[in-house]
Amino acid sequence: METVVQQLLNAAQLGAVYALIALGYSMVYGVIRLINFAHGDIFMVGGFAGLLLALRFTWMPLWALMPLAMLLTALLGVAIERVAYRRLRQAQRMSLVITALGVGIFLENLVRLGVGPETRQIPSRMPTTPVAWLQDALGVSVTWDKLLIIFVSLALMALLWAVVHRTLLGTAMRAVADDKDVVPLMGVNLNRVIAVTFAIGSALAAAGGVFFGQAYSLDPYMGIDLGWKAFIAAVIGGIGSIEGAVLGSFLLAGVEVLTVAYLSSNLKNGIAFGLLILLLLIWPSGLLGRPASKKV
Amino acid sequence: MLAPPPSPRAPGPWALRGLVLGTLALAVALQLMTEAGILPEVLNPYYLHLLTVVGMNIILVASLNLLNGYLGEFALGHAGFMGVGAYAAALLAARVLPPPSSLPPFLGPLLLLLPTLAAAMAAAAAAGYLVGRATFKTVGDYLSIITLGFNMIIVNVIQNIDAVGGPRGFTGIPRNTGFAAVAACTLLTLAVLRALVQSSYGRVWLSIRENPLAAEVMGVDVNRAKLQAFTIAAAFAGLAGGLWAQYQQFITPRSFDYIKTTEILVMLYLGGMASLSGSILGVVAYTLMMELLRNLLGAFAPQLAEWRMILSPLILILVMLTRPSGLMGHREWRWLRPRGRS
Repeated sequence: METVVQQLLNAAQLGAVYALIALGYSMVYGVIRLINFAHGDIFMVGGFAGLLLALRFTWMPLWALMPLAMLLTALLGVAIERVAYRRLRQAQRMSLVITALGVGIFLENLVRLGVGPETRQIPSRMPTTPVAWLQDALGVSVTWDKLLIIFVSLALMALLWAVVHRTLLGTAMRAVADDKDVVPLMGVNLNRVIAVTFAIGSALAAAGGVFFGQAYSLDPYMGIDLGWKAFIAAVIGGIGSIEGAVLGSFLLAGVEVLTVAYLSSNLKNGIAFGLLILLLLIWPSGLLGRPASKKV
Repeated sequence: MLAPPPSPRAPGPWALRGLVLGTLALAVALQLMTEAGILPEVLNPYYLHLLTVVGMNIILVASLNLLNGYLGEFALGHAGFMGVGAYAAALLAARVLPPPSSLPPFLGPLLLLLPTLAAAMAAAAAAGYLVGRATFKTVGDYLSIITLGFNMIIVNVIQNIDAVGGPRGFTGIPRNTGFAAVAACTLLTLAVLRALVQSSYGRVWLSIRENPLAAEVMGVDVNRAKLQAFTIAAAFAGLAGGLWAQYQQFITPRSFDYIKTTEILVMLYLGGMASLSGSILGVVAYTLMMELLRNLLGAFAPQLAEWRMILSPLILILVMLTRPSGLMGHREWRWLRPRGRS
């Protein structure tokens, strides 16, 4: 029993990082219907931004370092949209996807040449001391950094939900997601809404990157693997939906962690993707996604 | 009623027969040249290797074009089918069939190639059929994810089969292929695909791409057509895999994961959708670009050669920004167009 609780706690930590990435996929997909293949690499750049800041400014506490990394990565996301995606918005959808793939490969190799191909870890800026009362209650090892990662991520998701559902900007974003041809006629600045979406998505991914670099490790190609995973989580939940992305991420992380713990680490990917296909066969547009409309 | 006059330029059965015979003659000539040691004299072995890889990539890209260009789906799992073919061929060649050294020098490789490549195509086609079945209910991006998921599962399954080396890879595959066989397979693949996309099959795929609902109303069995496209495309990916395994003599599951799929996609979209000319051009342009960048940058300073990894995606982005449908999107070179029409 204890080990199950322990594994679920690990899954919650991994799921929180997946969710931070998956939200960016989902939001960008929502507004411009693009599978932003560069998003996993934006997450990677966010992690490395955190690493470089941590190495350069050793005095900087995490609560200052993380927003800074998020800000830098948000700027990168906006720049990518401006330079590489905006001109292709009206073009065939697939050329946009391939451009995104190109941006991703570019970022990977840029970081590899700039920082080196080694696996690195962000020097810990979080208390790794155990949480005594929770440990006694659950009988498993609980450390502050794990709790921080889970709860800060959840807080960021709640903030995002509030922005999307409770502010004018969020209303504009949902309107663009609904019909991006009509919305500009209502006086909404489409370019700005899309830029903000990219900024928010990239900032969330950077938060995930900084957390990931502290809890696990960073390398220039990690964005490919984690990006796909998070993307799949977004799809399981129903791409375009915030709640869906979060649900899918925790579900995927849970399946992965439990597979590694009770079956075999070699089967991790096979089971995760088998589950994905099974879920999509039952719910063809994800758990919480809007069904793809079939014109009749 | 009068029968319509035969079009003077209509392709008869002689066209296909001529092509097959011509291809075989070319392959035999190339093989004889290789074995006599003339070909390596004429063409530097490095270029020969590049050309061989280009040939295999053309098979991959052109067959993916069936799905992504003509059928209009966004399939993301082509390297998985290639892997199935590669492992099927490798198993047959290394474990079942006799080693090429025990067979006569010229006919031996050919005798080994035919069954191994047939097995590769059959195994990959079976995988393609399964994926095609799984995509019936889904459309658009969800369909892409299913194909991607299958690619990952195929790699993961192979990694867990110890009999084929698991994650360490499959070693000791005899070298039954060379430039001659790859050139012949590439030409035959292009001929078959050209015939397919210009046949009623191709028309049906195009109609599904343009409007699935309208196609269905016109009596097209959309699921059946999808299944056919997936099976055929996978079979050719398997052919490329079978060639690859018996050329490299060593395969690992990871060489067929989504990184390879991405490479195929990049070449496909660089060349352009729904265009066999584009598939050829995309592969050649991509390979040339990588080699030129390596040599040009390396000429300044050896360590600069690494920067091609940054420049090549930038060039890809520039091409997509200036020519969003790729170099040859929806166009064909004259010799690949249907005859009798302009």
